Amino acid sequence: MSISTSPAPPRPQVAETTRPARHEPPIIVFQNVSKTYPNGATAIRDVSFTIPPRDFVFVVGASGAGKSTIIRLLIREETATKGHVLVEGQDLARLRRRHLPRLRRKMGIVFQDFKLLPTLTVAQNVAFAIQVTDPGRSHLKEKVGEALYIVGLEDKLNTFPTELSGGEQQRVAIARALVHRPRIFLADEPTGNLDPDAGWGIVQLLLQINHRGATVVMATHNREVVDLCRRRVLAMEGGGLIRDEQEGQYLKDGEANL
Amino acid sequence: MNPIPALRFVVRVALQNIVRNRGIAFASLLTVTLTLLGAGAAVGVVFALDKVLQQEESQASVLKVFMADHISFASALNLEHTLASEPNVQAASFENKDQAAAQASSTLGLGGALHVLETSGGGNPLPASINLHLKNIAAVTAINNQVSTSDLLFPGPHQTDYNKDVIPRVEHYILAAQLGGAILVAVVGAVALVIITISVRTAAFVRRQEIEIMKLVGATDWFVRWPFILEGMILGVISALLASGVLLGVGVAFGSGGSLALGVGVRLAVLISLGLILGGAVLGSFGSLVGIRRSLAT
Ligand SMILES: Nc1ncnc2c1ncn2[C@@H]1O[C@H](COP(=O)(O)OP(=O)(O)OP(=O)(O)O)[C@@H](O)[C@H]1O
Ligand SMILES: [Mg+2]
Repeated sequence: MSISTSPAPPRPQVAETTRPARHEPPIIVFQNVSKTYPNGATAIRDVSFTIPPRDFVFVVGASGAGKSTIIRLLIREETATKGHVLVEGQDLARLRRRHLPRLRRKMGIVFQDFKLLPTLTVAQNVAFAIQVTDPGRSHLKEKVGEALYIVGLEDKLNTFPTELSGGEQQRVAIARALVHRPRIFLADEPTGNLDPDAGWGIVQLLLQINHRGATVVMATHNREVVDLCRRRVLAMEGGGLIRDEQEGQYLKDGEANL
Repeated sequence: MNPIPALRFVVRVALQNIVRNRGIAFASLLTVTLTLLGAGAAVGVVFALDKVLQQEESQASVLKVFMADHISFASALNLEHTLASEPNVQAASFENKDQAAAQASSTLGLGGALHVLETSGGGNPLPASINLHLKNIAAVTAINNQVSTSDLLFPGPHQTDYNKDVIPRVEHYILAAQLGGAILVAVVGAVALVIITISVRTAAFVRRQEIEIMKLVGATDWFVRWPFILEGMILGVISALLASGVLLGVGVAFGSGGSLALGVGVRLAVLISLGLILGGAVLGSFGSLVGIRRSLAT
């Protein structure tokens, strides 16, 4: 699969659903979670939801609604001020700092700004995630090759990030996030810096990752993507969860344009 | 699990940190070298002073107890024996009148005068004595009080031969030298620490993106820290080697007769160098730990 240029990649069919395992214990739980930052700003208030394994969830809302805060709580960059955040049954408030790496290795994480290292090649950027976590680096080449194959960049191993398009850079970031075969994949505004076609490519990739068995949470205000995918939507407004719908849309009928 | 690639990674990042931020690395190298130089010189001076003081102390702690002329050899030996078993006495030796004369002729150049006295029928005026080597200067006064009541001793005001003033003065010098040295080492150590901390903090700032990614993908805190600790250690050890080299050079240039300047021997010079290297490594790694702390805070 190569998405580098036009024509636009085929858009996902609404019918192609994955199977969220609702009978299994949830992989992510938010229980009456509030987060107030040290400066006094309350980013989210009393938010509760559960996500079963292999679910695909959009977190939508206007700027400042609290989407990124939810992601930061999940990777435990921040801790909840009130309530509980659980990942695979583990209360993150009680996770010891020295066990944080174990949590992070279960998760793949990508951001709007890719966070690639400009001095390293594509392959080195992906390998970096293994080099700094697995001192033995078993099967380094194979793992890097496999991750880059999944994102369709197996022919760009020795290219530097600055020589890639935005969409391709985000693919490298996704490949890097995939090398630990994460059960949970988090994406904060992954299409925010991309043109619509490149953005679609990334969303398709996330759907594919979900299809392979990972739970995906994607924070976005990309209305077109959300409306076409018809996946679960958690809608945030002013720090509160105002809507949780299966096969949801960016806006509810009659809701004001955000 | 194979630790070799991890080690290679740590070493590579540490060396890259130094090369990439060579400005601040050079500045820290220079200042840490200067501070270690100060510390090394201070230690050398303290050692040299200490040696001088020890010599003086050993002289001050020799107590000569002069014997009255009338006492028998047996009672003299008896007294020597009693004094030798005192807890503060390291060794006691008897010195008879002839030996005292011989000593006086050789060290004081009084041979001619003594000869004249003896041949003119005046006899040997020097008293026999028991020479006590005391374990410390503080014991001098106690022993002196004890023996001065004995009727076996030479009558008169100067029964024992030591200078009361020397003792407190020597003690004073020792204390001042040790205190001054300790303060100097503490101050230069603190300066070195601050400079290494700044250097590592700069390196961590330059690498903040990498550190962020390392934490995101699940690197342990120690894995993030190690390259920076090694960087600090390398800077500290190189500084120590430079400082040792300069100190040795100066020592050789101003030394004489197989000793370095200040009478520092080769053994001590090696010890100081090893101490500086160890100190540099400890300072470097500790400074790095402090410098990297903020980057690991979240
Ligand atoms: N580190 C922080 N310190 C203080 N306040 C913060 C911090 N991060 C976020 N906030 C505040 O919390 C609220 C929610 O921020 P958050 O980043 O979660 O929003 P968002 O939905 O991701 O917005 P955007 O779409 O612009 O990314 C905002 O009002 C923001 O100002
Ligand atoms: Mg955000």
